[in-house]
This record gives sequence, structure tokens and C-alpha cells, in this order.
Amino acid sequence: MTKNNLKKEIVPVLFLTFVVCISAIFLYVTNNVTEEYIENAKDDAVKSMLKEQFTEMDDYSYDEKMDLYNVFLNDEIIGYAFVAVANGYGGPIELIVALESNSLQDDEIIIHGISVVSHSETPGLGEKIVEASFSDQFTGINFNDVALTRDGGKIDAISGATISSSAVVDAVFNTVKEKVDVILENIDLNNEEGS
Amino acid sequence: MKEIIEILKNGIIKSNPVLILLLGLCPTLAVSTSIDNAFGMTAAVLFVLISSNIIVSLIRNFIPQRVRIPVFIVIIATLVTIVDLTMQAFLPNLSESLGIFIPLIVVNCIILGRAEAFASKNKVPNAILDAVGMGIGFGIAITIISFFRQILGTGNLNIFGNEIFQVPALSENPMPIFILPMGAFLVISLLLATLRYSGVIKNG
Repeated sequence: MTKNNLKKEIVPVLFLTFVVCISAIFLYVTNNVTEEYIENAKDDAVKSMLKEQFTEMDDYSYDEKMDLYNVFLNDEIIGYAFVAVANGYGGPIELIVALESNSLQDDEIIIHGISVVSHSETPGLGEKIVEASFSDQFTGINFNDVALTRDGGKIDAISGATISSSAVVDAVFNTVKEKVDVILENIDLNNEEGS
Repeated sequence: MKEIIEILKNGIIKSNPVLILLLGLCPTLAVSTSIDNAFGMTAAVLFVLISSNIIVSLIRNFIPQRVRIPVFIVIIATLVTIVDLTMQAFLPNLSESLGIFIPLIVVNCIILGRAEAFASKNKVPNAILDAVGMGIGFGIAITIISFFRQILGTGNLNIFGNEIFQVPALSENPMPIFILPMGAFLVISLLLATLRYSGVIKNG
């Protein structure tokens, strides 16, 4: 390879490397500046989501072990909230399910309420899962009644959107079942440790 | 002065990226479900387009021909990531509703197209004008499309939470098909047909 040829080969490589380095610096700076704000924005989003369910709450914490949110009022747990993912008609539906903590001790699981975080259901049909007329049906309902009316439950399906409705119902039922076991297990553990 | 108007006019009317060149249709059709989205998308595209045109025009004499496309893409991807992070930090709701289409600006043909076809051959002031013209042209097109889709699909016109007006019969029985992807194709094709028939845009 002649000297001229070598130069022709190497200049483009060096130029591209240089551009990539400059852009990496810019991205590093931007990331550092925005990181804190993005965290805050996410935190606010979680808080307002939980507030929708527990209007009286004053603080929350995320429990990594149980993968759920503990909701506090005056430093006492008043409820639990966790994410349930339903297999909807147009893709995953993300829901927040809230439970009242004292209902667990009474051995009767009462769902405090649900709200839809994100979804991609058909506008005008499956999209109605976000409307209060559907999601309010879960408010204060006994866990055993979480099923569509045709299956003997207490939730009316949205007409024309049976798949979306039953996806939500299934996700709420299964996730609550799973989480209640986890919560009870943890409460037991804590009691044993305490005694 | 005449040149300035000529370059701006070129982007807004004569070779409007969406209505004439039919470039960047993916974000145009996907996010044009509400006027809010249209404004957010326009702002993001305008920022990336102006910045990338400036940078490309500045380094146009140094870029080795063989690596010019990778260099353009790196520059555009950096700018888009900056926009994406800034939106997530300060406008989380807008960022949520525009979703994947902000990162996808990287592969928006309007931006790479203008870098390659215009900015890499012209001086900085002209490159800025071209970006402004093209950006506004994109914004006008996406705003018109989302105006019709929002009105027909929901019956209301809401801009940033303020209700501008309501179409009486339509708000009770909206036509959700216009919010669906199919409605986007219907609206853009009817819009193009009308513009062509009325002679606002000419063939060729």
C-alpha cells in the first residue's frame, strides 16, 4: 500500500471516530443534566397514579422484594398498589391495582380500585377500559367477585370489547392472587421476627 | 431577500416534505391523532432539522465523501437523543403520547434528506432557512391532518387541554375510524386529492 492510499483509507475512519467522540460528550452532558429531572418526573407520575387510588395518602415507598408500592398515611401502611399487565387486544395493558391493607387481616380481600396506566386498545371500543364506567366496577369489590358477569362475577364487559374486558379481569384476578400470597408471607415473616 | 423567500417557499409550498415529496410519512400518519401531538412533533422535528442542517453545513467541506452518511446519522441521532431526554425531563406527558416516534426521528427521511440534498452543499444561513422552511412545511401538513382526524374522530377540538369548540352531532357519535391508522391514510389521501384538484399543488 502506498502512502497516499493509506491516507485515503485512514482519514474517513479518524473523522468518523472524532464525530462519535464529540457526540458521546454531548450525550454524557445531556444525560447528567436531565437525569435528576427524569427521575423526578417518574416519581411524580407514580405518586399521582397512587393518589388517584388513595386520595388521602401522604407518602409511598417501593418494596423491591415484593415488587409493589406501600402506601402510607402518617407513617402507617394504608394500602398496597402494584402493576398488573393484561394481554389486551392491541397489546399489553398496564394497570395499577390497589388493595386495602386492613382487608388482608380480616381474611377478606377487598380491591380498593384499579386504574389503567397505558394501553393500545382500539379507540371507541377497547379504549373504554380507561373510562370510570368500567374501571369503577372494581372499586370496593371482593376479590372473589372479580370475573365477568357471564362467568358469575360482578364485572360487566364493555359491549364490543369482550377481549379487552376479560383481559383486564384476568390480569387483576391473577396478579392480586399472586401478590396477596407474597404480602401475607412477608407479614408472617415480620411477625415471627418480632416475636 | 428574494433568495430568502425563495428557499422558505420551497420548503413550505413548492416541495413541501409531506404533501409534495411524501417524505417522513411514518411519524406524520402515526402521531397526527391530536393537535397537541402535531405541535410537539413539529417542535422536535424543527429543532433537530435546524441543528443538523447547521452542523452539516459547517463541516460540509471536511466530511470525507465515503463516510458522509454515517456521520450525518451520528449527528442526527445525537440531536434526537438530546430532544428525547429533554422531553422526558420537562414534558413527560407529551413524551408519553409521542412515544417511540421521537427516537424514530433519527430515521425520518426529511432530516437525512435535507442534510444530504441541501445542507451539505450550501452555506450556513441558507441551510438554516431551508430547515425552517421544511420544518414549517412539515408542521403545516401534520397540523392540517391532525385537525381533521381529531374533529372527525372525537367531535371535539382540544388544544393543550383547552376546548376550542365542539361539533354538536359529532361529539355524541364520533367516528373513531379517523383516530385509527386507517383514518390517517383516508385523511391524507383526501387532502392530497383536494389540493391537487384545486390546483394549490401542481403535478411534476
